[in-house]
Amino acid sequence: MLEAFALATILCGFFGILLKKNLLMKIISMDVMSTGVVAYYVVVAARNGMFTPIASTSPQGAYADPVPQGVILTAIVIGFSIQALMLVGVMKLSRDNPTLDSRDIEQDTAP
Amino acid sequence: MNALTLVWIVLPFILGFLIYLVAIAARPLAILGALASTAYAIILFTQPPLTLRLIDHFGVSLRLDETTGFFVITNALVTLAVLLYNWQSNKTTTFYGQVLILHGSVNAAFVCADFITLYVALEVLSIATCLLIAYPRTDRALWIGLRYLFISNVAMLFYLVGAVLVYKAHGSFDYVGLRQAPPEAAALILLGLLVKGGIFISGLWLPLTHAESESSVSALMSGVVVKAGVLPLVRIALLLPEFDPIIRLFGVCTALFGVVYAVVDKDAKRILAFHTISQLGFILAAPEVGGFYALTHGFVKAALFLAVGLLPTRNLKELQQQAIPTALWVTLAIASFSISGFPLLSGFGAKVLTMKNLLPWQVVGMNIAALGTAISFAKFIFLPHQRLTSPDQSPLRAGFWLAMALLLGGLVAANVVYYEAYTIANVVKPLATIALGWLVYQLALRHVSVKLPRRLEEFEHLIGMMSLSLVVLFWIVMGW
Repeated sequence: MLEAFALATILCGFFGILLKKNLLMKIISMDVMSTGVVAYYVVVAARNGMFTPIASTSPQGAYADPVPQGVILTAIVIGFSIQALMLVGVMKLSRDNPTLDSRDIEQDTAP
Repeated sequence: MNALTLVWIVLPFILGFLIYLVAIAARPLAILGALASTAYAIILFTQPPLTLRLIDHFGVSLRLDETTGFFVITNALVTLAVLLYNWQSNKTTTFYGQVLILHGSVNAAFVCADFITLYVALEVLSIATCLLIAYPRTDRALWIGLRYLFISNVAMLFYLVGAVLVYKAHGSFDYVGLRQAPPEAAALILLGLLVKGGIFISGLWLPLTHAESESSVSALMSGVVVKAGVLPLVRIALLLPEFDPIIRLFGVCTALFGVVYAVVDKDAKRILAFHTISQLGFILAAPEVGGFYALTHGFVKAALFLAVGLLPTRNLKELQQQAIPTALWVTLAIASFSISGFPLLSGFGAKVLTMKNLLPWQVVGMNIAALGTAISFAKFIFLPHQRLTSPDQSPLRAGFWLAMALLLGGLVAANVVYYEAYTIANVVKPLATIALGWLVYQLALRHVSVKLPRRLEEFEHLIGMMSLSLVVLFWIVMGW
């Protein structure tokens, strides 16, 4: 069930990238897509249990798998730095293309 | 060797950041980084294959063998050549720092042997490439860089989903985990790698990006960066025999697809870019010997992009009217001869080796692709040229000659890798292919002009094509 929601978020993000014309909206859609991917990793991590994996004298039962969580932390950091870089690029582009319509930019810069 | 390997992987990053701090030493530090990689690659060839695994590993590992060695030395020498080429230019510190960080991330992508390390390396590589493309800060450069980053990031998001599916099925991120993973995992991971590597339809982002960037950046991208997506595919084909036919099929399709565009195009840089796509197909068509092919292609393509960057115009129709300097023509011709498979240059050995390792059903397709290569490079070989009247008119500087000496010298030196290729039968076949290619060019192609539509290279079509490729890949993996 949760898996389906995560995958639906990824799809929504992907269609946003495809259907939105504004470059800024495309970048936000990409963020939605990556949120879906992060959620999917968390769901996979919790497939055997939900408890925090901390060593203690009284184990609390089935704990969550720490590996996908650790991995997705790296991916979140990479994702947000890419997002930041793209937004800076869009800021620069918006000076000459105030509408930020991706098709217009593509035509203007075509060789 | 273990400690040396780790130091070598980190070194370009440390030097790259150091360049920002010690701006005055930018060029020597950058050269030092590239030389260190060259030295390491030479050591690598003398050592037995090495695998480094993280303790309690989840599959996270580095693999250093002969194939890696070929890719690493390509990266080292192409970076060195690009740095020498820019030695006398007025590039700022940022450029040298970025080149070194790109160099380090490409090295990391070449040595890693699991899906997550590969993901991190490929993402760092995309960021560094995007910054290098956007270096001139014009609107067009910014858009090309953004477009590149956008497409590769979307592809890598699909790849990440594939990676977690592999983990779920196998409990680690090792490449061999792909065997137990469901078909959708393989389809998602292959999609990511095909887009990053510029293979077949998924590689249509490549021509615009490589053709519109500065020539030294194009040389880096075509020479080494795309290979960071190709080497994992080669590794998967070698490790998992059930994926071998799929990768080989993509190899043949890519080789033909790229060469068709390269034959009809009239823009020098676009021909080179499409031809890169076709050559990546040659690497994938025979994964066992892909390393040597990647080496010769890396040298040739870097040399060609650097030389074409100095031509007065990119339009081949105009170049046929006005003569280019003979010195420049000679470098173009040597590189074109190597890539067409002419004996005495290592492109010949690489082509013979690849053709020998083909499966029977691939042979026809790859021979047509080789003929197409000869046709498309006849366009460069038959350009009119003349000696310059006064030497100070020449656009060629010492840095250019050093870079060319390195790349073209490397092509001649690499002949020793497969000197058994020099038999009568092996020599006659490429010569016949080249002669036939030139004949076709002189009789027919020189006079016709065909324009293939560029609609598929638009941003939205590229993204849309990803969803289609995903479906097709899924059915291929399911059905195989």
